Amino acid sequence: MTKETFLHDKHIALGAKMVDFAGWHMPVQYTSIIEEHKTVRENVGLFDVSHMGEVFVSGKDSLEFLNKIVPQDISKLTYEKAVYCQLTNKKGALVDDLIIYKLGLLEYMIICNAARIDEDLNWMVRNSKGLDVKIDNQSHNYSLLAIQGPKAAELLQNMGLNTNQNSFTIRPAKVAGIKLLASRTGYTGEDGFELLVENEYSEELFDKILEYGKPFGIKPIGLGARDTLRLEAALHLYGNDLDENTTPIEAGLSWSVPKDKTADYNGKEVIMSQIKNGVVKKLVGLQMLDKNIARHGYDVYYKGEKIGIITSGGISPILNSNIALAYVKNIEEICTDSIVQVMIREKLHDAKIVKRPFVTKRNIVKTK
Amino acid sequence: MSITEKILCSKTHEYILENSDKTYTIGLTDYAVDQLGDIVFLELPEADTEYKKGETFATIESVKAASEIYMPISGKIIEVNNEIADSPEILNEDSYEKGWLVKVEMTGNETELSDLMEYEDYKEELE
Repeated sequence: MTKETFLHDKHIALGAKMVDFAGWHMPVQYTSIIEEHKTVRENVGLFDVSHMGEVFVSGKDSLEFLNKIVPQDISKLTYEKAVYCQLTNKKGALVDDLIIYKLGLLEYMIICNAARIDEDLNWMVRNSKGLDVKIDNQSHNYSLLAIQGPKAAELLQNMGLNTNQNSFTIRPAKVAGIKLLASRTGYTGEDGFELLVENEYSEELFDKILEYGKPFGIKPIGLGARDTLRLEAALHLYGNDLDENTTPIEAGLSWSVPKDKTADYNGKEVIMSQIKNGVVKKLVGLQMLDKNIARHGYDVYYKGEKIGIITSGGISPILNSNIALAYVKNIEEICTDSIVQVMIREKLHDAKIVKRPFVTKRNIVKTK
Repeated sequence: MSITEKILCSKTHEYILENSDKTYTIGLTDYAVDQLGDIVFLELPEADTEYKKGETFATIESVKAASEIYMPISGKIIEVNNEIADSPEILNEDSYEKGWLVKVEMTGNETELSDLMEYEDYKEELE
């Protein structure tokens, strides 16, 4: 059975086009994906991302447990901070990508992908054997609203939030009198917040954000624009760009993997070896040189030879050209500015390898 | 008479409109365009190419995905709407007067029209 968020009726009332996504009936667009995309880049947008999973981890061994399941060094994660992580398997490849938040002493929260929650929980439980740790899936009790865009902070400030909060931090807060957890994170490449609120307050919060947001030009944003926004920001999508056969090093996530973590974790040997010896495939950004659109699953060629595959592709409404993420053979001559070809409907179309992100973050948070 | 009273529609959402010179204009119904959302790319055939009924003759891409467009009748392409290739968003505004795709000369016989529906019936079928 398809699940519905607590805001489902709101989406219908707003005229959203609904689709099934990861077992949820979700809004893909309200008016136009391109229009919604530009609203987030220029003003501010409101997303219902309540389908995402929230798993609370606590107990005496919670730190040891988390350190075992991700390459990141959770012992360095301090109170009210968040860190982007990968849940790795024994091969060092990804079961999921997630954000871990430290909420208190031996108390953590994990936000994970809706489509992966069951696999994540299974894997976590298997890895918790013999450890004093409580893994508590609270996804059904919380709604998650993302407010993203250059005007997100000002809007939330007007609603009573103290926005003097660093990127990748979380803290208890009140927005329009509603108690919630405010995290300065997102999936758009813009500044913004994600508000974790108990289900019963989600409708009131959603309405109030739209009401307070009116003078800022706020719009509700569907999953369609969420996808084009994250692609411009070159943020990975699990299931497209990440899977159980791809390591964080191959995925270009080396920046997030510490080289000096002492604790052992699943797949550490593989990951450390890849850092030292290199990888066979690597993730690159492509910009199409004509109007054709590269899509997930299309083959990539170089000098007549198949060298890789597109994992995410689509339009960039900001660059006004078409962009893609691809895994290609890791050889030196295939690098930034190289011209490769994408096979689209049995014809090869030129694309240039470009630096990621495609659209640079224009609103970096610098409050200290 | 509005344009939707003059067209015949296929189950795969193409329409044909008979012109006064016995050629046919082919396009996509407003319902199809609405379902696709923002149209961002069109690959149209060359003039003079021939297609059989049911063959893919063009590709349309929305932000989300690429879809094939099928010939509702067998025909030879005699004119291509190049304006929409440059500005595919025209289809979102109007897929009939301005956003038609191609004009064809019919090469099959009229029995090919038998599975095409009047617009009202087509709409009913969708419900």
